[in-house]
Amino acid sequence: MELNAGTGGNGSHKTASERDEVAALESLQFTDEIRRLMSAPGGDNASSFTALLELPAPQAVQLIQSPDSAKLIAAPAPAPAPAPAPNVDDFRGSFQFPFNCGLIDRAARFSVFAGDGNINGNNKSNSPEPTSYNSSASLQKPVKSEPAETESSQPLVSDPTVENRSVKRKDREKVKGSSKKSKTSAKESSDDAEKLPYVHVRARRGQATDSHSLAERARREKINARMKLLQDLVPGCSKISGTALVLDEIINHVQSLQRQVEFLSMRLAAVNPRIDFNLDSVFTAESGSLMDSNFSGMVIPMMWPEVQLNGNRQQYPQQLHLDAFQQPVSGREEVCNSYITPENSLLSYDSSGNSASLHSNQLKMEL
Amino acid sequence: MCPHTSLKQQFLKKWIMGLQRCSFSKKNMSILERKKTIKLSADIAMASARNGTTRWSRALISNASKDGSDNRLVQQILGPDSNTPAVATTTNKARTRRASVCKKIVKRSHQIRRRRRKCVAAAPVKAVTSSISKHLVRKRTQVLKTLIPGGEFMDEICLIEETLDYITSLRVQVDVMRSVASACFSQS
Repeated sequence: MELNAGTGGNGSHKTASERDEVAALESLQFTDEIRRLMSAPGGDNASSFTALLELPAPQAVQLIQSPDSAKLIAAPAPAPAPAPAPNVDDFRGSFQFPFNCGLIDRAARFSVFAGDGNINGNNKSNSPEPTSYNSSASLQKPVKSEPAETESSQPLVSDPTVENRSVKRKDREKVKGSSKKSKTSAKESSDDAEKLPYVHVRARRGQATDSHSLAERARREKINARMKLLQDLVPGCSKISGTALVLDEIINHVQSLQRQVEFLSMRLAAVNPRIDFNLDSVFTAESGSLMDSNFSGMVIPMMWPEVQLNGNRQQYPQQLHLDAFQQPVSGREEVCNSYITPENSLLSYDSSGNSASLHSNQLKMEL
Repeated sequence: MCPHTSLKQQFLKKWIMGLQRCSFSKKNMSILERKKTIKLSADIAMASARNGTTRWSRALISNASKDGSDNRLVQQILGPDSNTPAVATTTNKARTRRASVCKKIVKRSHQIRRRRRKCVAAAPVKAVTSSISKHLVRKRTQVLKTLIPGGEFMDEICLIEETLDYITSLRVQVDVMRSVASACFSQS
């Protein structure tokens, strides 16, 4: 499951974030937190909760709702996107109670996130909220799905809810400010929190807290999250650190893919003097082959198309002879004949089983 | 790739329909022309599989329909989907307007950053290395913008999202084309 993979992959980030929670304040968005806490399976075990720590709300919601779409990149995003939104709207009215219970449970279980001991002792109702709030936010948000639609829905929803919370946030931040060492930064960040209704970014110690830098930092974190996704997608990028090198790899990858498309289209153009496909047969044949074909890294197979081309150069004159032979005889049907045979060979070529053999019989009957 | 199978099938269907409509009846098409048509139909099939949800797909279609020679082809391929050209033209105008607005905003933000950098005293070594790395990153993003169709008008965040989508669709395209090509070649 993606959750476990997320915990495994982000182990180092987890410990770093735990350390940071104690010392520093983090960025968060209200509705994301709320949604995640609402829809998360209520504190099952340590792994799921800490896994949810790493994931921002939309991804956690999607993963929980649709475990099949583990890699949500190609999957159509609109389906899960409307689903998280109604949760927030429903909970907007009765906001306090589920929020409190869930957080108190988690805070009780993971008391390490509560920070100093006196906080736990003093305010059981108030303080576990912000501390586990902080713990549930993450420094770097790996955005694993197509974020376009979900991101656009979030600011619209977050605006009214956030303004309700901003007052309560000030109180909580003041409580936190007394316990944390940087009082002034907490106060200033609370002021800035009012100015930015969408994104709440807490200032870290020793960093500028004016709205420009906060917005910049939020933007930076967004970009870093997406860069992480790209790193996971492009093979061989996960070990590289540094934006410039990762971008280099991405550029190389995109260029190689585009070159492959050019090359394959040239190859197809060389093969077929006429591309009249019998639709049904090609669909069935191709769908059968596509089910089996696995995409195992683009780098290695890159070599074999070139090798194949050299091998096939000898075959081109044969192809042309065949076609030249067929053309004086043929109308359109003969040409279709010659292209049904590739599908026959394809079916025999890939041993995809029952469906393939059925279709080969159908094709023979058509002929 | 199991999650991409539906996408592959969609792409294949559209590609083959486009190829059929492209009227390959001209017998004396040179190999380059054929290759161009194949590639174009594949690209447009891939872009239309996104149904105008992503910017690169819209940019691809609008770029293809700009040239007079390819326009006919594009119209044939897209065929009954007459709404996509309309979407493309509106995004064109919106894009140019957005580009000019974006440039102003970018210029202004650069000025602000320059002013702020003068106030904040950074250690000299740090400033040099950070400026070098920023320069490198900026150069790379410029290159990436030229690679992704319609990338020059996107800001960094959108660019990275579009790159993600573009890479996945390119992979699908390559997979399908390769399997078709291998099928045709395995016959001989």
